[in-house]
Amino acid sequence: MSEDKPTGNDYLFEIAVFLATSAQGCLNEPPLYGPFRLLDALSKVADFPDYAAGLDRDPFLKEIKAIVDEKKFLVMYDVDGFKRAIDAIVERFSKELKKRYLPTK
Amino acid sequence: MDVFQAIRGRRSVRRYKPDVVPKKLIEQMLDAGRWAPSGGNIQPWKFIVMTDKNLLELIRKVSPGYLGETPLAILVCSDKERAYKIGGALGRDYLSVSDCSMAVENMLLAAHALGLGTCVVKSFARIAVKEMLEIPEGIEPELLVIVGYPAQEPKPPARIQLREIAYLNKYGQEFPIDLEG
Repeated sequence: MSEDKPTGNDYLFEIAVFLATSAQGCLNEPPLYGPFRLLDALSKVADFPDYAAGLDRDPFLKEIKAIVDEKKFLVMYDVDGFKRAIDAIVERFSKELKKRYLPTK
Repeated sequence: MDVFQAIRGRRSVRRYKPDVVPKKLIEQMLDAGRWAPSGGNIQPWKFIVMTDKNLLELIRKVSPGYLGETPLAILVCSDKERAYKIGGALGRDYLSVSDCSMAVENMLLAAHALGLGTCVVKSFARIAVKEMLEIPEGIEPELLVIVGYPAQEPKPPARIQLREIAYLNKYGQEFPIDLEG
């Protein structure tokens, strides 16, 4: 809601604060808040190229971010759906990893 | 709005429009809060209203549970010294928390009736929030209420059926339920 767009350093600091405060919260919060915060962090990390010079927006991460932002709130009302969403996200990452680093001969 | 409509229709909203909440509506919410029940009439609550954009941004940064951006947040604190003075250890350790919770519920229902969306946040870094808002010793942040005009209408979450939680005359004895859903 700030008027100025944060710099890459500002944004990195923001993510760092989010991780630190989340770590503190996770000491006493409901266990499922842990994965929820990690997904939220993933969503924030995916935005990093928007703020940091020299980084290109990764279309795959952009797609993952959209899925995360759509599915993360399932934790509030559909725990099984939330777990399935995480499984599906990890599956997407696995396929992408293979595609990027184990190219077919 | 009928009170049952407000209770059934209120949702935890996580996407908001940027529109400013008029001061009159804020006052109505706060007034609803102060009319909550209070053990021993301690009234331990203090309400810190935040409308400054930069401050809200800082609070959001140290509150992992503050999802979305809102033009308004109200931190409900308990005055532990007052609670102890009037209510002893019970007042300080339990009633102050339950009183603030009841005040928050009143505020949420009032906000809903006024067309506002809210979400209660407990996941905030207490130390950081105390520092930023210059909250003195003896005053404890209990719940953060984020407020704005909703940009979404969340689906109702699942609720445990009444028959599973309501008993008649003794624990475990069925309370006959006629209400559906």
